[in-house]
Amino acid sequence: MTQAKSKASFGLIVLRLLALLGIVLIVYRFANGLGSVTNLSDGYPWGFWIGFDILAGIALAAGGFVMAGTIHIFGGSKYHPLVRPAILTAFLGYLLFIFGLCVDLGRPWNLWIAIISWNHASPMFEVAWCVMLYTSVLALEFLPVIFERYKLTGLHAIWKALVPWIIIGMLSLFTLAMTYSVVWMLIIGGILLFWEIMMKAGLMPRDKQMPILLIMAGIMFSFMHQSSLGSLFLLAPTKLSALWYSPILPLLFLLSAITVAPAMVIFESLASEKALGHKTEFSLLAGLAKAMPYLLSFYLLLRVADLVGRYSVADAFTLSGAAVSWWLEISIGIVIPLLLYLTPESRDSRRGLMWSSVFVIVGLIWHRLNVSVIGIKVQAWETYYPFWAEIFISVGIVSIGICAYRWAMLNLPICEHNSAESS
Amino acid sequence: MKAMLIDATRCIGCRACQVACKEWNELPAEKTEFFAGKGYQNPRDLSSKTWTLITYNEIQIEDRFDWVFGKKQCFHCNEPACATACPVHALEKTPEGPVIYHADLCLGCRYCQLACPFLVPRFEWDKAIPEIRKCNMCPSRVAAGEEPACAKVCTTDAIVFGERDDLIMDAEDRIRRDPRNYVHHIYGKDEVGGTCVMHLSNVPFEELGFDTSLAAKALNKKSEVAMKPVPFVLAGLGLTLGAVSWIVNRRIENQQNQKVEDAS
Repeated sequence: MTQAKSKASFGLIVLRLLALLGIVLIVYRFANGLGSVTNLSDGYPWGFWIGFDILAGIALAAGGFVMAGTIHIFGGSKYHPLVRPAILTAFLGYLLFIFGLCVDLGRPWNLWIAIISWNHASPMFEVAWCVMLYTSVLALEFLPVIFERYKLTGLHAIWKALVPWIIIGMLSLFTLAMTYSVVWMLIIGGILLFWEIMMKAGLMPRDKQMPILLIMAGIMFSFMHQSSLGSLFLLAPTKLSALWYSPILPLLFLLSAITVAPAMVIFESLASEKALGHKTEFSLLAGLAKAMPYLLSFYLLLRVADLVGRYSVADAFTLSGAAVSWWLEISIGIVIPLLLYLTPESRDSRRGLMWSSVFVIVGLIWHRLNVSVIGIKVQAWETYYPFWAEIFISVGIVSIGICAYRWAMLNLPICEHNSAESS
Repeated sequence: MKAMLIDATRCIGCRACQVACKEWNELPAEKTEFFAGKGYQNPRDLSSKTWTLITYNEIQIEDRFDWVFGKKQCFHCNEPACATACPVHALEKTPEGPVIYHADLCLGCRYCQLACPFLVPRFEWDKAIPEIRKCNMCPSRVAAGEEPACAKVCTTDAIVFGERDDLIMDAEDRIRRDPRNYVHHIYGKDEVGGTCVMHLSNVPFEELGFDTSLAAKALNKKSEVAMKPVPFVLAGLGLTLGAVSWIVNRRIENQQNQKVEDAS
């Protein structure tokens, strides 16, 4: 026991040092401009941060909406113990992502301008709005944890009463911003209002713990921005390699984010089990793992069909860095974990599940880096490689996230959720 | 819509346009640096301080080498990808033609740089409060009925400013009158949906560093496909999720009631 503790605290010291280094580098970046800590250039304006912190970070936080949806809408209530850790990861993930984005943006103090200056033709505009609103949704989903911890029953009741109306307002405003159309705003607002009235009237069953509209909003915003992150690259047809550039990029981004969600939840549960000693029932994780072969094989099928459909198969058989990276991504991120999830010996052991999930996660990060960095080729510009400070800033941000996650797991009722509720 | 026509056969490489651009826009000088590779121009490329640049290209014409000069600057596309990309309208296509920049709106996300097929927008990487910098076609001069600074000073009328339609007719006329001395193409007439800076040349455009692989379709059509369905997807999700939740949770309720009944 004591040995485990000292080992954990050594890891913690390293994490805190990395977080501190990251913060120092970030301060330096704000004093001296982006050029001082990055290798970015006018030819390669987006680099490691966009690929790792933002594209991969957001996709890895998809566990929040996938789990919440599975449990509260699709009737998977047995997975309830997994929902709070997933929402916590998502909430922390988005806060960190916004923090990382502020480091990457040249003029982060203008971020609020996106609220008043609307360009609904821009995929980036949609991402900005979704991220703002979805982070609010996650905060609302997470609030009950705080209410429980500090026994704020009065506030909890107010929360329950207000949330549906906040959600209807949020989604109506979002629709107006995306379409400039009052008609569309009324349609979307009307649909949500209809469900709420049906629930108030007692016709539609309601979840006693979680307002259904909140969960729905989480899924709707997530579908929108997970896909729009892929749409971002539709405007770079001359720069992104044909191995990845595809009109269905938004669909592929959404699907891969949904695919990585169960893997991420499995990985987190097993990792926090090791580091913090919280036991998760294995049958739950095994249950999640059952979905993986379907998700992975469908994603693989779509990736291959897309490449064939665009007559770009030959690109995968050329001798280039991009082609090698494509093969590694497909094999490490999709084929190997697919085989592992299908192998009974691997599927039925914690070790096996851990490894297959790690492969899926690495594969997703690899895909996002392929789209945003490795697959981008700009004529007449020197190729971009990340500067060491870029990587250490990202590492610092992730370290801050792990420290915050650890604190929350130890101090807030995240894992006791199930036992508290079933009693 | 106002536009510029730049004729490489008339350019003598005096770079008065470069100087005029710096003067009018109050841009600082750049340190002269030698660099490897093609081209003798100075500076090497566009930058946050250099919004237009005369490129020096030594090109074989029949059996002799000759200098042919190209001009780099913002193309002021009819349907600019940068303005579509910008989430906050910091880049704006004005009805008069120029694509202008509003620093007070800009987030510094640099999506415009990724989206621009001509690699024009520049970012101030060395500044704590950076801006996107590029040619804005002297919008205050254009609004006052003047021509942009570079067109004004051009000694050989290699840069002509005027209505876009008139310039296209003028360009076609020049090609018609001297068909052997021109490539039979107006670069920018159709590229990426047409641009407000168009070029004529006596040598193939790719030899002057122009990207000749660009399609005639505007780039914003590529992202439109993904953005147009947004409200439909939202409505579909709103309906489906609500309905599924109703059915699934009703079924669970019924099962629980069944259990209670069975137990009693």
